[in-house]
Amino acid sequence: MLEQLLIFTRGGLILWTCKELGTALLKGSPIDTLIKSCLLEDRSADSSFDCDPYTLKWSFHNDLGLVFVAVYQRIFHLLYVDDLLASIKREFCQIYDPKRMNYDDFDETFRQLRREAESRAEEMRKSKQLLQQQQQLSSMRGPAAIKKQQGNGGGQQRSGRSKGGKGTGKDDGPDSKPSKENEEPNKGGGRVVVSKDNGSSSSEDVSGAFDVSKLQKMRVKGGKKGDHTNTTNKGGASKAGEPKKTAKKNRVWGDSPKEEVKLDFTDGGGDGSMEGEGEGVIEVQGESMMDKEENYDSSESEEEEEEEEGDVAARPDASKKKGWFSSMFQSIAGNGVIEKSDLGPALKALKDRLMTKNVAEEIAEKICESVSASLEGKRLGSFTRISSTVQTAMEEALTRILTPRRSIDILRDVHAAREQGKPYVIVFVGVNGVGKSTNLAKVAYWLLQHNLSVQLTACDTFRSGAVEQLRTHARRLQIDIFEKGYEKDPAMVAKESIQKAHRDHTDVVLVDTAGRMQDKDDLMRELSKLINLNTPDLVLFVGEALVGNDAVDQLTKFNQKLADLSNSSNTRLIDGILLTKFDTIDDKVGAALSMVYISGAPIMFVGCGQSYTDLKKLNVKSIVKTLLK
Amino acid sequence: MENLVSQLEQWKNGVDQWIHRQPVEQLYVAAGVVFLTFVFFVLLRILKRTKPNTIVLAGLSGSGKTTLFYQLRDGSPHQGTVTSMEPNEGSFILHSELEKKKKINPVYVVDVPGHSRLRLKLDEYLPQTAGLVFVVDALDFLPNCRAAAEYLYDILTKTTIVKRKIPVLILCNKTDKVTAHTKDFIRKQLEKEIDKLRTSRTAISTADIANEHSLGTAGEPFVISQCVNKVTVAEASGLTGNISQVEHFIREYVRP
Repeated sequence: MLEQLLIFTRGGLILWTCKELGTALLKGSPIDTLIKSCLLEDRSADSSFDCDPYTLKWSFHNDLGLVFVAVYQRIFHLLYVDDLLASIKREFCQIYDPKRMNYDDFDETFRQLRREAESRAEEMRKSKQLLQQQQQLSSMRGPAAIKKQQGNGGGQQRSGRSKGGKGTGKDDGPDSKPSKENEEPNKGGGRVVVSKDNGSSSSEDVSGAFDVSKLQKMRVKGGKKGDHTNTTNKGGASKAGEPKKTAKKNRVWGDSPKEEVKLDFTDGGGDGSMEGEGEGVIEVQGESMMDKEENYDSSESEEEEEEEEGDVAARPDASKKKGWFSSMFQSIAGNGVIEKSDLGPALKALKDRLMTKNVAEEIAEKICESVSASLEGKRLGSFTRISSTVQTAMEEALTRILTPRRSIDILRDVHAAREQGKPYVIVFVGVNGVGKSTNLAKVAYWLLQHNLSVQLTACDTFRSGAVEQLRTHARRLQIDIFEKGYEKDPAMVAKESIQKAHRDHTDVVLVDTAGRMQDKDDLMRELSKLINLNTPDLVLFVGEALVGNDAVDQLTKFNQKLADLSNSSNTRLIDGILLTKFDTIDDKVGAALSMVYISGAPIMFVGCGQSYTDLKKLNVKSIVKTLLK
Repeated sequence: MENLVSQLEQWKNGVDQWIHRQPVEQLYVAAGVVFLTFVFFVLLRILKRTKPNTIVLAGLSGSGKTTLFYQLRDGSPHQGTVTSMEPNEGSFILHSELEKKKKINPVYVVDVPGHSRLRLKLDEYLPQTAGLVFVVDALDFLPNCRAAAEYLYDILTKTTIVKRKIPVLILCNKTDKVTAHTKDFIRKQLEKEIDKLRTSRTAISTADIANEHSLGTAGEPFVISQCVNKVTVAEASGLTGNISQVEHFIREYVRP
């Protein structure tokens, strides 16, 4: 069942929570977890978030800065949650006032919406069964059976339609906008669609019963629908309204028919069922005009943007002036709320730019989606252009992603470990030839500069010359090295090394491992064993900055394998990233972004040269600047 | 191209002639108006700048900044809060001062989210800051001690804070709970942690020089009185509304 439903501002103030649901306290704090590990990580383009034992779904209203979150037990697959969130969003926005803090009166509306959504989901389920039944019957008994089942058939058709709406909503993405738009026809217009199909199967003698105004409404409606061009079906449409009407009433508004008036937002006259339906259509008609205008608007601006982008590529001089003029006009005219289609071109340009900077395609796509989700529905400030708005939003998002989530102060951790009398163990992992040993030596040099004793461990018992290489480094830096030669189990070598460091009171143990490709299962198992056996304080993934799309694969596989192959309960994943060969890539710094986004681990060091001193911290600001240049 | 130049010159001549035809007084008046407007805007800028009236609430996520913000503004924590994704800000007269008859200057209070990825927002507000309240969770202090100390260290070494000597109030929140730590204990722990940080933070050949100011006097264990700006410690409870010490701090630096 639905566990909790919250409405809060982006600032963090809870505006409304469902009190009936809120009695049972949630285990842990799934909402905070959701915000911290999903929404703030720019993963808000996902459709749902799992936080044991709950699943959370959310929806934004960017213009008002509201967030709607629904929490439910994961084992229940609640079909109506998306639906419910969309309708709650619609209702709540109408009564929202930034100065008001108490929305107790929303309880009633919520109950209503919930019942509605539940019954819709129920219908959807039933209709599937009914459809099967009906198919059987009609094949057996022919058209007579259809007539008999007309009432049921209506329900079916209608819910079939609502299902369709939902389907498209899902296709368009998790964003609530499309599903909201699809909601509209569901509520008022669903009947009309239904009746069309029904009308065609019944007699035509009632076609005189409808008046002209209704016919017009139907036409507008049909035009709006687009996919149903219906001039012939109109007669049937209004005619079949009556049986449908009663059937529907029983189903949806069952227990409290009075509330129908309350929920009908066009001021309901409530003269009769026909009248009621008429009003439903009117509402839809208004909506359709809005849609048209918006569509027109957006397509226009899209054109402009595209034109602009094209021009920029071709001849920047001329286009600049033109772009400036058109955008000036646009900003003065005030095109208000940002639509998804407005963002399209600007985001596409940004995505391309990110990809030329060597960001993995998948990542660029996801970040763009998240930025789009955060901007959609926002009001464009006067004298600003969409592209610049998108640019700032992207800049913020990138800075947020690259800023480390936790402290990357290794020295502090080393001191803490020393106080406990333990050596601080760092394991370097990575694919072949990325520079693990070289950068291990650089880290050793850096630690030595801060008056810490370091011991190297040669766990690369695989590649010829690896131990000798490390020995050379150790000699040059004049530090201890622990090695057991080749053909030994690296996990055991590391264990003995740590024991030795414990005895000698060495501060830091740096463990060098063999390079391995991420899909070599046996080697990955070996690594997993090493890490699980020795529980190092830091697992450092060494990755080269030259890597492009493969960065995603490497990191996900490494993390995956470490998680899968470990037999202990608390799995160790990659804690940090060391980015090597940073001096060779000029402005193609995308790998940094890809790696951080995929693993969620911060970049601890950047290797940028051949000598021992060439180890740096990542400068987030300059990276973001380079990415968006 | 030449056509364009000649046309431009023609226009220029036209404008010149037009100006000469105008009475001289009118020109003077026009120039005077432009000048006065300019002076007015400059004055406005200067006046605005000389009175920083922003109080910034900072601290780790979950320490109770948003609750404190609403407690200051509305005198009630409403229905609780969740992790903030955006700063809360607003200019208002403190709730406890609403009853007073005389005219009071409003305070601009900003609640900066504590999530580490959003901390950068803090820098935007520091230039206008009159005082900074660093909120610490006194109840759940020990597990978060290091993180809190790191954040506090970052704040205390920020260029703007050091240069403008912005006063900092370390506020131990949630003291209504019985198991909450005392403010002296928290101060000592924070000092100890910052002392350790001083040695480790001067690390890595710096690509970005974020902290160029060293804290306290070298060779001595760090105590907060060594800071160039005034750092004080106080207790409060955001949930129950026991926030008189914060209000006192705010009114000390933003005159009513």
